[in-house]
Order: sequence, then structure tokens, then C-alpha cells
Amino acid sequence: MTIKKLLRHETILAVLVVLALIVLAAQSPRFFTVDNLLNQGRLMTEVGLIAIVMTFVIVTGGIDLSVGSILGMSAIMLGVFWKNFGLPLELAIFLALMVGTLAGLFNGLIITRFKVPPLIATLGTLALYRGIAEGVSQARSVRGYPDWFYVLGQGQVLGVPTQLWLLGIVAVVAAVILGMTTWGRMTYATGSNETAARFSGLRVDRVKLLIYSASGFAAALAAVIFVSRVSTTRSDMGTGVELDAITAVVLGGTSIFGGRGTIIGTLLGLILIQALKNGLSLAGVKSDGTIVLIGAVLILTILISNLFHRDGTR
Amino acid sequence: MLKKTLVALSVLSLSTGMVQAQGTWTGGDDLPTTPLACDGTAATPAAKEYDGGVPTNPPDRAGQEITVVDVPKLIGIGYFDATSKGIAEAAAEMGNMNATTDGPTEANIDDQITLIDNYITSGVDGILFAANDPVAIAPVLKKALEAGINVVGYDANSEPDARQWFVNQAEFNGIAKAMIDSLAAEVGEDASFAIVTSTFTTPNQARWIAEMEAYATECYPNLQWLETVEAQEDNILSFNQANTLINKYGDDLKGILGMTSVATPAAADAVTQAGQCGNIAVIGLATPNAMKPYVDADCVKSVVLWNPVDLGYAAAYVMRATADGELQPGDTEVEAGKLGTLSVINGSEILLGAPFIFTKENINDFDF
Repeated sequence: MTIKKLLRHETILAVLVVLALIVLAAQSPRFFTVDNLLNQGRLMTEVGLIAIVMTFVIVTGGIDLSVGSILGMSAIMLGVFWKNFGLPLELAIFLALMVGTLAGLFNGLIITRFKVPPLIATLGTLALYRGIAEGVSQARSVRGYPDWFYVLGQGQVLGVPTQLWLLGIVAVVAAVILGMTTWGRMTYATGSNETAARFSGLRVDRVKLLIYSASGFAAALAAVIFVSRVSTTRSDMGTGVELDAITAVVLGGTSIFGGRGTIIGTLLGLILIQALKNGLSLAGVKSDGTIVLIGAVLILTILISNLFHRDGTR
Repeated sequence: MLKKTLVALSVLSLSTGMVQAQGTWTGGDDLPTTPLACDGTAATPAAKEYDGGVPTNPPDRAGQEITVVDVPKLIGIGYFDATSKGIAEAAAEMGNMNATTDGPTEANIDDQITLIDNYITSGVDGILFAANDPVAIAPVLKKALEAGINVVGYDANSEPDARQWFVNQAEFNGIAKAMIDSLAAEVGEDASFAIVTSTFTTPNQARWIAEMEAYATECYPNLQWLETVEAQEDNILSFNQANTLINKYGDDLKGILGMTSVATPAAADAVTQAGQCGNIAVIGLATPNAMKPYVDADCVKSVVLWNPVDLGYAAAYVMRATADGELQPGDTEVEAGKLGTLSVINGSEILLGAPFIFTKENINDFDF
């Protein structure tokens, strides 16, 4: 576990991102413009928020497949609290965030109390939460939010999309927590060797509970932003977001076995994917071709990174 | 491990969805109906002011080569393959439209929005769309209009002010007329029939039935309505409901109308298995692929829907006319190549025309 080793994957990735940006900018004059880049930032915020917290989850050696469903459920609940219960929108937003956090806490409880592997537990809640979202919404959408609400998803502050500020703040806070605090150390310790961490007196279960709750909170926050961006709620919102987030995290160098990973890496992974999606589309590549390329880039990056890590560790 | 698996399984089984509440429901809704004339003369469309959007400072595109992107709900399914074929056909005919189809691989609102956003940045002249959600797609379409891009929808509408025109594949009263006309032609004008529909939570079916009632009262007053049964777009339930109708009414039952793309093939299956092909006619809304076996076996003669190739074709012509400035707010009709003149309805919609009836002769030309 050396800083050098960590830097290496991130460095490779950073070089790749720069390369991708140069190549894509050469393909289309409309790619490397301030407007387009800020707009892409807007589009990647929801996945970004989820991916940042997903980094913690995966560093502990876990995974959270239910984030997309939590997003859908929180979005539906936001609409229900506001429209059907007639609560003020501010309160409805707060309650929707609570619903997401509780859903995450529930994941954490299944995983820590009943020792269910995170993959299975969150696969279960992936279906469970989506089912609740569909059952509650009965295929009806909630629309017509007040104008101030759209500032969050469609407006901008100081020329930068509102939600991008939020993503920035969350990213900095998360990077500090993971990289510089005891909490971060405990997260790595849990993922590196859970048994050793337990015997060292770390409260591993509490760490996990908190992280899964945070994951639910991030998904709910993404839900609020998403609803504001598209101005409606639907029960199928967030379908497949979990895979986008996990892809960004893994591309960012976080080990799927736990114990290794950084927020910077995740952010670079996010940027690379978003740049590829957007740049290729602008260069005239159709969306089916784009997803093939993103899959190839993911595998290649991990391969290159592994070439530099032939030292007996994973 | 067994314990863990059991926990996961019980969690999964909880999520199998909510059980839908059953309710008594006679069929149609209470909204006003507008039945078409019995002989098919087109009704004069009610005048309604243009309620579509207007692009901000579009360049003069009249007669110019334009780049148009077609973003359907999703790609890779027969239905939207057919619409994009129609668009390509029209583009080839016109010669000055460069049309490509690119859509999400799943009917996902976010993917569709992102895709359209990228095409706005890439600077296309026109966007054709079939919305996955009428409201969610509106902000990005408005952004396209603000960028001076021509926006025309087809198949699935957005909020009217987020696009310029919408090509409407079928109106409720048109579908109703096609259903009742086919029924009367197959079983006679005084036969008894029953309806298999979905539920009261599906407004389209209620609307169609109400229009059918109004049209039949006007044009075929001797048709006997036996019963309308709910089958919730469920395959097995639809089959069972159709089976019950066959047993309950025996020889009185001359026709079954299927109101959903699930109910129609299920009803055809029930009639086939009861050995009643030829005695009980099945007519309904359905996609050709689901109905081919029954149509080929002569058990079903008419499947009512619209022609998606024509739908795409019309959308491309509407796009061209909009870009050329030939189709302006307030116009009442538009030229659409081989389809002739199409009329403007509801302010900013273009009606494709009468529904398309798939029969044994033409059903194998379609794959969706």
C-alpha cells in the first residue's frame, strides 16, 4: 500500500483523459467549447454523486447495486410527498432524501446483521425498491413543480450549472474524508482485511452501515437533481445508473476486491466516460458504437494498469 | 449459505409488484365523443389555434440540404426499425435531406435526453423524436428550438410547446371506426359481440370504447354489445377471459374485439383452441408479428393498427415542409409525398390518416 502505486493508475488515467480530450476535440470543433463542457458536467452530476459514494462502498470490498432503484424510489416519493400529501416542496425534498438514506441503511443492516453478501443483498433491494417505486406511482408522473425548483437541475450559478457546484463540493468533501481522515483509514482497513480490522478493534459494521446509508443518500440527492432537470417523476428513473457508477469507479482504479481506490480516480473515470460518450456522438459515432468503445476502454485501462502492477498484489 | 439465499429470495419475492385492484367497469369513459361519419367522409377539424413551439431565429433552410436526426424511443425493435425505414425512404425521395436514426438501446428517458442534447451541440438542422416521456423530454426540446433547430415529433408526443409539429398516427375516433367497420363487415350488422380490454387505469382503451359506442349507435344500431371484460394486459388472464366469454355466450357470440396488443392475440388463441375459428371473429389492435399465426391460419381476418413505415415517411415530409417554411402555424394541411395531403388537427398535430388494417395479403410485409 504505497502512495506511489496509487498515483500510478491515476497518472495513467489522467494521461488517457488528456489524450481522449485532444483526439475528440480534433474530431469535432464543437466538442472543446466551454458551453459543451459545462453542459456535460450537468449531465454527469447524477452518476457522479452516486459514483463518489460508490467508491467508498467498493473500497470496503462491497458493492451497491440498488442505487438506481433508490434513485427511482426517492424521485417517486418526492412527487408523492409534494403532490399527494400536499407538503411544502422543501419538506418533500428533505423527506425524499430521508427515504433514500433509510433505504441505504436498510441495505447496510441486511449486509451487517444477516451477513448477506452485498452483491446479493443489494440485488434483492434493487428489485424491491424498484417494485415499491412502480407500485406507489402506478405509472403516473408528478409534474408542474414551482420555478425555483428547476434552478437546481436546469439553472446556473455564476455561469456554472447549479448541480456542478454540488458535485464539486461533494467530491472535495469525499476526497478529504477518504484520503485524510480516520474514517478513510477505517474504510481502507475494512476492505483490505476485514478480519484483521475487526481484531484491531475497528467497528467495521458501523463503518459499513454509514457508508451504505451515505450511498442511499447520494442516490436520493441525485434523484432530486434528476427530477429538477427533467421536470417530472417517473418510476423507471435511474434504471441502469448503478452500472454507470460502478464502471466509473472501477475505471478510476478502485479494486473491486476492496482496500484500494481514490476519489480522484473515480472523477477521472467519470470524465473519461462522459467525454467519450459526448465526443464520439459529436464525431458522428452512433450510440451503439459508443457503448462498444466504452467497454473496450474499460478493459484496456485495467489491462494497462495491471501491466504496471505485476508485483504479486492483485 | 442457504439462509442467506432464503433471505435474498424472500426480498426478491416481495418485489413482484402490486396486485391491481379490481373494479366494476362498463367500458367507455364519460368524456364527449366525436364519432366519424358512417361513409368515412372526413369531418371538418375543429379549429384550434396553433399551440406548438417556434424555433428562435432559424437560418433560411428553404430548399437547402438539411441534416436531420431521428431519435426514436429506442432502437433495435421492429416498430422503430419500420419508422426509420419510412424516414429513410422519404429522405431518399426528396434528395435534400440527410437523415440518420440514432436512439437509446433501451427506452430510457435519460439516455434519450442526453442523446438529443449531444445532437443539439453537434448542430443538426432538424430533430425528429418519439418521446419516452412527454414532460421529461420537453426541456431538451425547448433547448433545441432555442438553438434554431426544427423539431417534429411522431408516435409519442411531448408537451405541445416543446416541438413545432407532431405527426399523430391515429385518432381515437378513427381507430373506433376501423374496429366497428371491420366487425360489421365480418359478422354482419346485427351480430352480438364482446370486448376484452385492459383496465380502467388505461385511459386509451376507455376512450376507444366510448368512441366505438358512439360510432356504433350512429352507424350500426343493431349490433349487440354483450359484455366488456377486463384482462389487465395480462396474457393468461386475457386468454381465460376470452375463454369464459366463449363458454358463457355460446352461439350468441359472433365476435370478440381485443382492445390491447395482449388481449387480441390471446383472444385469437382462445378461439383457436375452442375450435371456433370461422364461427367467432376476432378483431383487434395488435402488432402484426403477434397475429401472423392466426391470420395465416385464417382465424383472424383484420388486425387494426397504423403503418409505422408511413408514420416515419410522413414525419420526414413534415420536417421538410417545416424547414422550408411551407408548413406554417395556422395551416390546415401539408403535402406528404405518396401519402398525399394530410390534415392538421388539434392545433399543431398532423393526422397520418385512417388506421391501417393488416390482412392476410399484407401482414407478412411487416416485421414488428
